[in-house]
Amino acid sequence: MTSPIDALRNGAKGLLPWLVPIAILVVWELSALFGWLSTRILPEPLAVLKAGWTLALSGELWTHIRVSAGRALAGFAIGGGLGLVLGLLTGSFRKVEIALDTTLQMIRNIPPLALIPLVILWFGIDEVAKLFLISFGVFFAVYINTFHGIRSVDPALIEMGRSYGLSGWPLYREVILPGALASILVGVRYALGFMWVILIVAETISAQAGIGYMTMNAREFLQTDVVLLGILLYALLGKLADVAARLLERRWLRWNGAYSAA
Amino acid sequence: MQIDNPELAQVGAVRDGSGGLDVEIRGLVKYFGERQVLHGLDLSIPAGEFVAIVGRSGCGKSTLLRQLAGLDSLSGGAIGFDGKARETFGDQVRIMYQEARLLPWRTVIQNVALGLPGSRAQVRAQAEEALAQVGLADRADEWPSRLSGGQRQRVALARALIHRPRLLLLDEPLGALDALTRIEMQRLIEQIWHQHAFTALLVTHDVAEAVALADRILLIEEGRITFDEPVDLPRPREHGEARFAALESRVLKRLMTVDALNPRNQLRGRVTEIVIGKVLSEVLVMTPAGVLSAAVPTSTLSEFPLELGADVLAVFKSNQVVLATSD
Repeated sequence: MTSPIDALRNGAKGLLPWLVPIAILVVWELSALFGWLSTRILPEPLAVLKAGWTLALSGELWTHIRVSAGRALAGFAIGGGLGLVLGLLTGSFRKVEIALDTTLQMIRNIPPLALIPLVILWFGIDEVAKLFLISFGVFFAVYINTFHGIRSVDPALIEMGRSYGLSGWPLYREVILPGALASILVGVRYALGFMWVILIVAETISAQAGIGYMTMNAREFLQTDVVLLGILLYALLGKLADVAARLLERRWLRWNGAYSAA
Repeated sequence: MQIDNPELAQVGAVRDGSGGLDVEIRGLVKYFGERQVLHGLDLSIPAGEFVAIVGRSGCGKSTLLRQLAGLDSLSGGAIGFDGKARETFGDQVRIMYQEARLLPWRTVIQNVALGLPGSRAQVRAQAEEALAQVGLADRADEWPSRLSGGQRQRVALARALIHRPRLLLLDEPLGALDALTRIEMQRLIEQIWHQHAFTALLVTHDVAEAVALADRILLIEEGRITFDEPVDLPRPREHGEARFAALESRVLKRLMTVDALNPRNQLRGRVTEIVIGKVLSEVLVMTPAGVLSAAVPTSTLSEFPLELGADVLAVFKSNQVVLATSD
């Protein structure tokens, strides 16, 4: 039984982490209201909300989000997919590792953003260039963690599987893949975070739609509220991707005590 | 189906062709790099026999088991099951390891059913039956991480049994369990061995476990069998029983002698005088290094009598040797 006072105390405890952000918002709003803060530097929070509302009503906002998310996910699918397949191959077959791993480790050290000039020369400033950059950035996080995951599967379990008549695909499905999954998902989460970083840069190069296009456009017209809205949208989408990855972890790794608990 | 009468079950098992395998090992040699682990080992085990192998760590007993399971290649010699090559019986040999080696991402029942062919419902029914045999039917859908060490080994046992093995290899499966769980598991293994009538080969450090379970106890020293003795005690065996204890101490003593063959920390000599005391007795031994006076508990002396003039070996355990400077 909890008394009303206890309940109040628990409620207060839940609110405590939000106290500072709320205070900042209030101070921010007030300073904008009294004119201490120029709207050209930082618009008031209410203005950002309003800008979001108008853009949502006109439908423009959704178009931009759809285009950006589509780009990000397509790039992630291509780069992550390739990383997964190559990681599985190099992790599982010594010969493939010898043939490919050194090359991949060398390419890994190139920061994806350093490729921008080359990418523009190759693909122009079209959609392909953005997809290439995102795929490239995402690839290595998935590749390395997949490779590592496969290699660190407990050899005692593999031996057990073999002695129980498993080999080939059944051994892979029952023992190796589930054993590597925790590591692969770490790679996926890392890649999802990186995906947004690359997306932001890629969309500022040149774009006809997308959140990056929206903010660059707003900058031209000094619409700081829309610029801020764009930044907040990136943060929101990033958080959403992370939550999705966490849900996957909780679903696929529920046998592992570390993930099953909330 | 639960059969309470072991004899009946045995007859049934032999009839449906799942009785024990006859094992024949000739001149088995195994090298790991330069190091020779097995030195031409010969062993035959008749179908359905329960054999226990004892020996110190690194004597080659686990290596022998792995060879039988086909986990390592042979360096020389031959292994035959029922008079044929080992390879043709791959699916009739199962091994239980010291750790349960359950897949943590599969539920208990999925672990038991690992590698079992057949339709989903069929496999599930078989796995449930095997789990019931080891007394874990109610834990079927849990994750292995929720089970205790003893329960995990039960699941591993069920996983081995479901394939109806004709040779079950047990590589110290109870080594990590507490004393009570161990004895429970020994009873369970004995009961299941009665029911299924497979040939069993148990590697263990625990002499009492070997005496409790085996028809025959082998001692492996430096890759050879140096002691092979039948255990002629009625089952089920009680740990406290006099004949049980006598056999246990005989095997233990034999194991200790192996220890004494280490050429360090020992003196050869002849007994020259025995002074019997109430609690401690004194045995004087003439050695090349001079007269050695050994204080021995009188009870030990009455259990293992010594005579004047007997050739003896005085052995010091390395962890009990103290060297003090003479001043």
